[in-house]
Amino acid sequence: MINFSRFRLDNGLRVIVHEDRSTPLAAMNILYDVGSKDEDPSNTGMAHLFEHLMYCGTENIPEYDLPLQLAGGENNAFTNNDITNYYLTLPSGNIETAFWLESDRMFEPDFTQKKLDIQKSVVIEEFKQRYLNQPYGDVMLLLRPQTYTIHPYRWPTIGMDVSHLENIDLDHVKDFFSRYYTPGNAIVTLTGNIEPGKAYDLAVKWFGSIHARESAERMLPLEPAQTEEKKLTVERNVPSDALYKAWHMGSRISKDYPALDLLTDLLAGGESGRLYNRLVRDKNLFSEINAYVTSDIDPGLVIMSGKLMRGTDIMKAEEAVNEVINELKDSALTDYELEKVKNRFESSVVISNTSILNKAMNLSMYELLGDPDLVNREVESNRAVSREMVRESAIKHLSPENCTTLFYLSASKK
Amino acid sequence: MTMVRLRRIQPPIHPFDARILVPTKSVTLRNGTSVFLIDAGTENIMRIEFVFRAGMALENLPLLSTSANMMLTEGSEKYTSEEMNSILDYYGIFINLSAEKDTAGLTVYFLNKHFEKTLELVVEILFHPEFPEKELGLLMKKRLNWYRINREKVQNIATDKFFESVFGSHHPYGRMVKETDFEGMMPSLLKDFHAKYYMPEKMTMIVSGRIPERAVDLFEKYFGDLHSKVIYTEDTKNLIKGESGKKDHIIKKGSIQTAIRIGSPAINKRHPDYPGLKFLNVLLGGYFGSRLMKNIREEKGFTYGIHSSVSSFDLSGFKLISTEVGKENAAKAIDEIYKEIRLLLTEPVGQDELEVVRNYMSGEMVRMFDGPFAIAESFKAVLEFGLDLNYFVRMMDIIRTITPEEILRLANTYYRIDDLYEITAG
Repeated sequence: MINFSRFRLDNGLRVIVHEDRSTPLAAMNILYDVGSKDEDPSNTGMAHLFEHLMYCGTENIPEYDLPLQLAGGENNAFTNNDITNYYLTLPSGNIETAFWLESDRMFEPDFTQKKLDIQKSVVIEEFKQRYLNQPYGDVMLLLRPQTYTIHPYRWPTIGMDVSHLENIDLDHVKDFFSRYYTPGNAIVTLTGNIEPGKAYDLAVKWFGSIHARESAERMLPLEPAQTEEKKLTVERNVPSDALYKAWHMGSRISKDYPALDLLTDLLAGGESGRLYNRLVRDKNLFSEINAYVTSDIDPGLVIMSGKLMRGTDIMKAEEAVNEVINELKDSALTDYELEKVKNRFESSVVISNTSILNKAMNLSMYELLGDPDLVNREVESNRAVSREMVRESAIKHLSPENCTTLFYLSASKK
Repeated sequence: MTMVRLRRIQPPIHPFDARILVPTKSVTLRNGTSVFLIDAGTENIMRIEFVFRAGMALENLPLLSTSANMMLTEGSEKYTSEEMNSILDYYGIFINLSAEKDTAGLTVYFLNKHFEKTLELVVEILFHPEFPEKELGLLMKKRLNWYRINREKVQNIATDKFFESVFGSHHPYGRMVKETDFEGMMPSLLKDFHAKYYMPEKMTMIVSGRIPERAVDLFEKYFGDLHSKVIYTEDTKNLIKGESGKKDHIIKKGSIQTAIRIGSPAINKRHPDYPGLKFLNVLLGGYFGSRLMKNIREEKGFTYGIHSSVSSFDLSGFKLISTEVGKENAAKAIDEIYKEIRLLLTEPVGQDELEVVRNYMSGEMVRMFDGPFAIAESFKAVLEFGLDLNYFVRMMDIIRTITPEEILRLANTYYRIDDLYEITAG
């Protein structure tokens, strides 16, 4: 049970505190409700580039990392389709440094042309290192624009193309800040060795003086239902073929989410998942195979990915995958299997909750979804999934006309 | 003070210290197995690491140690591979197998309510594996596929070549795996390796989490009567000998980035200079504010990241600077790396920078002892070198007191430019 207090400052900032006295550390997580889905289609990659720029200092504090390191702290951040999330841990006695640093960059970052140019180079190298110069690294760059036609999930967080990053200028950056980095658009969560009263006082002291600003209104197009099977074939310099499938599903808080999450565990959780047992262990068609839900806030995707054993015909591999998927639509699921994935889920939640940082991130995310107490009901809602619900969600979502398939072929010798 | 002025001044920094905890208890089971217990934590969950001296250094054939390890969950006397994996998942038991250069074994995480079931399964996994031929064939096919993918990455090409250059192709620390190594692995080879190196009497268990009182009794019940057959283990005669050529470039057609690896063999944890060398390494490239990160990422924008590390093996150690940069900037980045090393050799470190590294590393120490699982990991990292937690006490002391003169001495002893290997791929 994760106990927490929750309050809201006059400027709209939401603050959540979970006290855990067993650690000498405290964690601070700041979630900004802005992700790559909020980008201008001609400036994709902006939200993530902006995350880098947030580390470039402010008028008052020229360097972000230095004071944090002096306080014994460590930090990082990530950006995805939905959110930009900053987090740090430090010895709890120095928590005020975290308030000071984070409030000041919400207050007034100092953007310059030189800083922008350098971070653009850094992010472009990241683009190359992780997506372009990596076998199979461009899969999401290919798959997203196939699956989504109008929703901004059609581009990946790193951006559609290096040229988009190159074209971002200082005005874009300042505009992005004023639209999205407002107190009302942020959630600050503190966990660890910190008392809620003290957290409240420090939040008022450091964040309270930041003026409320209007956040940009979000008006995203609703992705129309897919009615026809889509297929894409590419050839790349990779050692073996790979197969990817993506099916549209509902939003993070849709009724079907727990069933589909459980269904992907059933398919690919651990080494006893159905896909692994059938297609790797029994038939040796794939060398690895995976399935997961993207957990996006807006309607997301169920994704299956697999690398083929050399010599496997990719059509035969696809057929075998479809067979396993179609079985889910019959009543073949056993109680043992269902219980297995539920137990595994419960274990993973307990393990995850041993970390104050995980707890801080989860509380922030659930606050964004509407209720931080959902963090305490994850296991329960997973337990509530029945065999019939799994079957229904498979019938509803895992149909060929709702699916996009990517055949990623090896150009080298077979 | 007004808020405007207050915002310019860092709130006071309070001193903080890592509480370096020794395991609450250590016991030896009837058969000789060593058990260390770190009883702490808020959740009803445990982690047990089972460690054997069964790493790659002991193999006389490439892939033997890792394959023996990976086959442990692929079928035992009582369970087929499929059954075993299904039961583990049913009880929500998470097993991480690992085979490193010197040690191998597994780490298991489980809810306390499944304590006995976990022990029963671990005994099957560790001491009654069957190494079935069919599963072994599949494993080798999978590994060959992974290998081919990894060999497409400039990072791996450069790292593999670095280790071969530093430790030589005749020692498992440096030996590069070839495609042909994936043929000819047989169950009998694995059985033999397993019998020699997975001996219950020589096993070490590091137990952490919320440990129930009956834990040691249960360990006696499940492990205390296990014995191995008496087996003669010969010296593998693996020889460490670095290559004389210190520079190499491996061409990877079509690559848009170059991977750079610069480093050399080094002392390991048993050497008194090691904690100081760690400090020097952090300053150079071991944290976000390091000199290499500042120069090559934050000032020049050449790379997404550059890191330096110092690591220990049982028989040696190494230090390594690694980065991936745009092809066009490779030569410039390498120049800057050497420039930073030369600076370390000639200029004393300023007090301000020293202060930052001291505090950053002290914070790291707090994180290394935050919670039972982190303590267990830190403990294992010294135990395998025959050291104890006094190593960290010494480390803490050096973090607080190291001087610019001492750093100069360490740099001139361990970072001589002529000693460095420089490997690039791209």
